[in-house]
Amino acid sequence: MNNHLRRLLAALAVLTMVLALAAPQVVAAPPAQEPTEEAGLISGFPTTDPNEARTALEAFNKADKGQPDPAWKGKKFTIAVYSGGQRGPISGPLYFWRNKFEELTGATYDIVEIPFAELREKIFTDLQTGAGTYDVLINCSNYYGDYILNDWIIPIDQYFDDPRFPKWDRDSIAPAVARLMQWGDRWYGGNYDHDAQVLYYRRDIIEDPKWQEAFKEEMGYEMPVKMETWEEVLDIAKFFNKKDWNGDGDPDDGITLHLKVGGQGFFHFMALSAPYVVIPYPGDPPTKVTKYHNVYWFDPETMEPLINSPGHVRALEMLLALSKAGPPAMWGWSLGEAWADFLSGNAVLTFSWGDVGSLSQDPTQSVIQGKLGARGIPGTKYPYDREKGQFLELEKPNMVGNQVGCSWHPVISKYSKEPELAYYFIAWQSTPEINHWNVAYGWTGVDPGTTYDWFPPYGTAKVEEYVAGGYNADDAKYFIGAYQDNFYNYPIFQNYLRIPGTPEMQEIWDVHLSEAVTGQVSPQEALDRTYDDWVRIIEDYGKDTLLKLYQESIGYQP
Amino acid sequence: MPERSRVKYLFVLPGIIWVLCFTIFPLLYSLRLAFFHARLGKSETFIWLENFRRALFDDYRFWNSMGVTVFFVVCSVVCTVSLGLALALLFNRPLRGQRLFRALFTTPLFTAPIALGYLGLTIFHEQVGAVNTVLFALGIEHPPAWFSSIWPARIAIVLVDIWQWTPFCFLVLLAGLQALPDEIYEAAWLDTSSSWDIFRYITLPLLTPVLFTVSILRMVEAFKMLDIPFSMTSGGPGAATQTYSFYIYLTGLRNFNAGYASALAYILLFVMLLISLSFFNRLRQLYE
Repeated sequence: MNNHLRRLLAALAVLTMVLALAAPQVVAAPPAQEPTEEAGLISGFPTTDPNEARTALEAFNKADKGQPDPAWKGKKFTIAVYSGGQRGPISGPLYFWRNKFEELTGATYDIVEIPFAELREKIFTDLQTGAGTYDVLINCSNYYGDYILNDWIIPIDQYFDDPRFPKWDRDSIAPAVARLMQWGDRWYGGNYDHDAQVLYYRRDIIEDPKWQEAFKEEMGYEMPVKMETWEEVLDIAKFFNKKDWNGDGDPDDGITLHLKVGGQGFFHFMALSAPYVVIPYPGDPPTKVTKYHNVYWFDPETMEPLINSPGHVRALEMLLALSKAGPPAMWGWSLGEAWADFLSGNAVLTFSWGDVGSLSQDPTQSVIQGKLGARGIPGTKYPYDREKGQFLELEKPNMVGNQVGCSWHPVISKYSKEPELAYYFIAWQSTPEINHWNVAYGWTGVDPGTTYDWFPPYGTAKVEEYVAGGYNADDAKYFIGAYQDNFYNYPIFQNYLRIPGTPEMQEIWDVHLSEAVTGQVSPQEALDRTYDDWVRIIEDYGKDTLLKLYQESIGYQP
Repeated sequence: MPERSRVKYLFVLPGIIWVLCFTIFPLLYSLRLAFFHARLGKSETFIWLENFRRALFDDYRFWNSMGVTVFFVVCSVVCTVSLGLALALLFNRPLRGQRLFRALFTTPLFTAPIALGYLGLTIFHEQVGAVNTVLFALGIEHPPAWFSSIWPARIAIVLVDIWQWTPFCFLVLLAGLQALPDEIYEAAWLDTSSSWDIFRYITLPLLTPVLFTVSILRMVEAFKMLDIPFSMTSGGPGAATQTYSFYIYLTGLRNFNAGYASALAYILLFVMLLISLSFFNRLRQLYE
């Protein structure tokens, strides 16, 4: 008996020791915190807004923190990110959450901001030379082709079931964006930003019966307030252009766009042209990718560029027409100038990313809070059917959703010396609470794209969460509603190009689009030039290699 | 050789190593690359003169950027040297506040070209820039579209470049003027009272070597123009302000096509050597 008791006591002692050793890991995550204030910081957040700190602290307390490895204490890694500044888009949240990351892990990170124009060359040079300067790359999704071809980034699936790392909800991400974080059946990227272009308008003007009456009088039909097609958008833009509809005594603009070379104007064309080019598969499912259906960039059998197809040319003619229904100066405008024109109340329409929706709620930059309307990107009744070789005339518009833009998100460099610590950071930032907080605060530049960003029945978000972030309730409904529509209600989607050489192709495309918009060449000629240049790039990289990657990236089954 | 005289080679060794590492090696390595299909990080293939053939016969961007560059070089060199000479003649005499003005005139020279480019961006901004604001105030309803039309964009870039480089020409030419011997002028004034004749027959011929040197230096610099169009127009509208160096930068550093970029760079080197040689030959002929 004594022996049994002795053994039992010994076993209990061993168990106690094991638990004691394990305990520091379990309790390593700090308990929920109360708001505190230090110089320049509120509750450890670099902000002067108590409400912002309070909501961030709530998100921090609720977010899963995993079980940070004590071995990480004192370590450091480096993040490369597009340079938006300490309170600016995409890079801002990295600064905002850094103190909390240090509290959780005892480790820290350096942030290297790189201007957009140099981001790719800096990141690719680092990877090509194997220098390993950056552990985490907050990258544009169109870099993936080069990453995969060169084996530059590591898959993160291996960490998903490891208890050290926070759990994040991958099923909540809009499928179109979630696909951008994967290649084949492997996950490479964490959840961060979710890009798409939507159409923004001045709700107070478009819905004003006085202007609707004037439109009918001038154009001879009811104002198409739903703006379901680009043809309707053009009519509205033309009608309002050069009229003093904001009452400031000066003529105002119909639409505002950013069309400068290097000003990301090609993204405008990408979103605008999709319904002219991409048509659904007539059978089931409509999203099936075939030689003629649900393709935008290349023939998936031959890798021949489709960029100068009649559909693309007609879309470029539409962009040209739209560019004449706004200030001529916008042919030389970058993002900021185009957005400023809309936010300062001088343009009725623009189509762009979620940044416009969130910036419109910032009284220091916008006079249109409470006046914002938004909808998913319009379609057209006249798409081009390559199989039939003719334009169709549909009764209902061809609507094509988009994930145009970068959808900035973190990946881990193969040369990272701290991949686990880097993944901890990625997973923690990807948790629903923190990601949703980033979305709700416009200055972060993080756009919505998960079920916890959407309102019921699509998701679980509440208008109050956006109001706490400074939104007007109605504006938030329109803005988030437009994104919901784009990601969930559009029947088909434009493919996202991410084969090797994509940035080079887009850069050349950008130049030729600018040539067309500024009247140097015709739309057909501009796109023919793009075609020729793309053929050369494809030959440079190797047609067979690119074809295989292209088929994989768009889900085409030969 | 005595040990003492061998020591001198030890002192020049660092210089030789420096030149070998940072001048000769890159030069030879890039020459080798020019004959390869070479994208960084990928295997290289020897393609003989294909990169040069493509540039000269099959790349409209090459000819476009060359044309844009030649326009910038001609306008910029002519204007900066002429203005620099005019200012040097003005300051080559006793003037009140001469030091202050000279310091003010030379300020743009010490500014980074990229900063000047961004400054140009604000000055020529079509809606809120200083230039168009003044033109609006003067009653011009449709001032130039500096960044969205081809020729205004090119002119805006040339103006910023002239602004930056005129002081350089001014300083060098002023030094040249001040080095001219007074005796010749004293003798000349006995023969004529015409300042124009003095300038035409005395100053200009004596200053020719300096003018040639300034022009050749400016030309080399203008051929390499990148920062100002990069920051002001990003090469647009279209490729209307995409200079040759800008195109090499895009090819080599943005798109990592090292082989083709090397070939483009060697073509530029060849063109500049050709121009320099013809300049110096002309100068030699003048003196012979």
